[in-house]
Amino acid sequence: MIKGLIVTCILCLVTVLAGAAEVSEELIGDKGEGSRAIPVHLIPLIEEEGQKISPDDEPLLPFSVRQTCGACHSYDTVKTGWHFNAVDANVAPGRSGQPWILADGGTGTQIPLSYRLWPGTFKPEQLGLTHWKFTELFGRHIPGGGPGELESDNPDEVVRGFISGKLEINCLSCHDADPAHNQAEYALQIARQNFRWAAAASCGFASVSGSAASMPDTYDPLMPQMPDDPKLVPPTIIYRENTFDHKKQVFFNIVRKIPAERCYFCHSNSDIGQTGEGKWATDEDVHLAAGLTCVDCHRNGLEHNITRGYEGEAAASINPLASMLSCQGCHSGEDLTTETTAGRLGAPQPRHAGIPPIHFDKLTCTACHSGSWPRQKTIRTKTSLAHALGTCSVDKSDDVLPHIIYPVFAKQPDGKIAPCKLIWPAFWGSLKEQEIVPINLEIARQGAELIAGKTLTSIGDWPSLTEESIAKGLALASSQGGIGGEPVYFCGGKVYRLDDKGKLIATEHAAAKPYLWPIAHDVRPAAQSLGAVSCRDCHSTNSPFFFGEVEIDTPVVSEKGSVKKMVAFQDLNPVYTKLFAFSFVFRPLLKVVALGSCAILGAVLLLYGLKALACIVKALSEN
Amino acid sequence: MFGIVSITAFLVVFSGICAHCIASAAAKGYRWRPIDILKTLVHLFTLLFLEQKLNVVGILRKLIYLLALLCFVILLITGFYPVLTHGEQISGYLLMLHATFAPVFAGCLAVLAVMWAHNCRFNKSDWPRLQRIIYPRPSQRGGIHREAANPIRVDDTLNNGTSREPVTPRHTLLQRICFWLIVVLALPVILSIVLSMFALFGTKGQEFLLDTHRYSALLLALIVIVHTYLIIQAKLKQ
Repeated sequence: MIKGLIVTCILCLVTVLAGAAEVSEELIGDKGEGSRAIPVHLIPLIEEEGQKISPDDEPLLPFSVRQTCGACHSYDTVKTGWHFNAVDANVAPGRSGQPWILADGGTGTQIPLSYRLWPGTFKPEQLGLTHWKFTELFGRHIPGGGPGELESDNPDEVVRGFISGKLEINCLSCHDADPAHNQAEYALQIARQNFRWAAAASCGFASVSGSAASMPDTYDPLMPQMPDDPKLVPPTIIYRENTFDHKKQVFFNIVRKIPAERCYFCHSNSDIGQTGEGKWATDEDVHLAAGLTCVDCHRNGLEHNITRGYEGEAAASINPLASMLSCQGCHSGEDLTTETTAGRLGAPQPRHAGIPPIHFDKLTCTACHSGSWPRQKTIRTKTSLAHALGTCSVDKSDDVLPHIIYPVFAKQPDGKIAPCKLIWPAFWGSLKEQEIVPINLEIARQGAELIAGKTLTSIGDWPSLTEESIAKGLALASSQGGIGGEPVYFCGGKVYRLDDKGKLIATEHAAAKPYLWPIAHDVRPAAQSLGAVSCRDCHSTNSPFFFGEVEIDTPVVSEKGSVKKMVAFQDLNPVYTKLFAFSFVFRPLLKVVALGSCAILGAVLLLYGLKALACIVKALSEN
Repeated sequence: MFGIVSITAFLVVFSGICAHCIASAAAKGYRWRPIDILKTLVHLFTLLFLEQKLNVVGILRKLIYLLALLCFVILLITGFYPVLTHGEQISGYLLMLHATFAPVFAGCLAVLAVMWAHNCRFNKSDWPRLQRIIYPRPSQRGGIHREAANPIRVDDTLNNGTSREPVTPRHTLLQRICFWLIVVLALPVILSIVLSMFALFGTKGQEFLLDTHRYSALLLALIVIVHTYLIIQAKLKQ
């Protein structure tokens, strides 16, 4: 009995101590004390092994963000954030977003990739992209973490990973307000496989030279020795003079309210063929023009679960503000019993005069207010993530892959129509029992080069594919075997395959459907929203909203120039939509007839009403 | 909510009409044989025809009335079918049909208002009947059967046999009341939807206008049904 009590007491004590230990894990920077003032970040730099960096260290190592920032902020909590958690299969994918796009001009490939389970995207592994290769390709616009921190199973990549280091979360990508912060330098370091040095290189007080990619497998970055080949420069960091104070501390210009320019590095768009062709000719988002910044709406706490801002986000997000920080949340208010959120940050409450309420059931706010004004034919646009905008060696040509079509007004899973960006996937793959497996890009490239008889470039526009060349490619893939199914080529919404006689056939296929993701920015002012001029902005027989032409982007020469009507993406009957639009021709007449009828009815009522009044007056007078 | 209100209202009105129809038929000694029912239906059908005695204005009036009735039926079906069956708002082809026939109905209503207003105006002879409807005396309660059988006697009864003033028959008075209610209700029905087409009202205003349109249209529909029933009754009596 006594022994049992003792054991129970010990267990309780252990539990309490464990709980206390857990509580004590909260770091000094995890919870603010309530002051809106920004704490000055004068802190020591710490390298990845946890040692403080001194300017006279030999060799001089880059600081580790995980160690330096993680001294005061729980890194493990931060890395659960939306920008870093794509590789976590337990995270709800939420609404489909912009994918990473693997584009290869030589093989006629552009394929949407995502670690998240967004329908229509492929897992990078399906294309033979390991986490390490993915980081090398797309790390330029990843603020670290995610695939950049995962261990590789490939022994070669383990060796290379030791040289390059891990791509830790780079807090400075967003929180460094130093004007000298250079995110393009970060991208450059990723291209050189200098993952360990990338964050430090982007700072204004450090400079990195050399390339881990060029180092031999035997190179040890912690005990560097100069390679025999003088052309090979190992990654080296230099901290500028006066970076360290007398306590060997360094000042970081860290802000909570991240400037929009920081976000813009990864979240910029550039429409091709727009008037003026330049940012100077285009207006920025109306919210930014009004003085807000991105993070006024896209907010997060320590766990960095930033709000994406779409309607219905609350169902997929643990961010308590997810339901409030949407268009509707700020402008119309949420149905809260205790308080209203309408007018948040001075958001004007929309009047929507003359807009029948049915529109709010059928359309997202962005349908009328976001993106560029729809035109008769969609345009192409470039994005930071897809086209490496803002980096040093970006291909500025208009035709460079991937081709993103925009704006496409398409029906969303919630039944509302939203403006979207679109890409038509194009890739070589195998079809087995209706299951699509993309062929590893390297294998596809080898095949394409074998047919072309030359080395193919991977950048630029589509190759000019003919039916003949596709047939040759498919025949080659069939003869090689080992792809585990029927070889096929997907592009422009069609699947190309060989029939029993070896003849090429093209049919529409669900797997070749375009991938669309809704957009929210740039938001136009109310006066420039759809419907501001008249109903005929959308309800006319040639309105781009319903009858605009969506480009079918394909490398197949014979299919070039083909288009699809916008209405096809809206799950609407085209005949009905056309008739409905046509009915608006008669709407003025309807108004005239109805108002005229009302006038006559009113006149009759008035006439006989007055007569009745006269009778009453007369009767009362007689009495 | 609107769906429940609509279903209830239609059930009440149709039940009332059926009950009245059966009761008056029973009072007249109507025999519910198939041949009699067929005869009645044929008779009802012939009511749609243009009578030879009608002059040009009469023909025009009847044609407009029939057109209005056709529009009313279409508007009734297109407007209430999705609400009553699916609990949804009107949309799609039904909406287009609704919007196509609505101005025609409005126009017909305006013309009919002009053509019928004089005949449907209230006069002195309506007053005693109105008093009897509002304050029925025990002897006149349930007098409908006797009234139908012998209108002259009813008129005498209504005047207590003391007055020589002509008294409007009950169904005529009800027709007049229905007519003026239709004219009055047509205004909110039409104006609520037309005003919503102008950039005058915001979302709350639009919702209010839509509700006004729905409920006033429901009321209008019920009154038009009653009015039509009264006209048919009157024609059958003739």
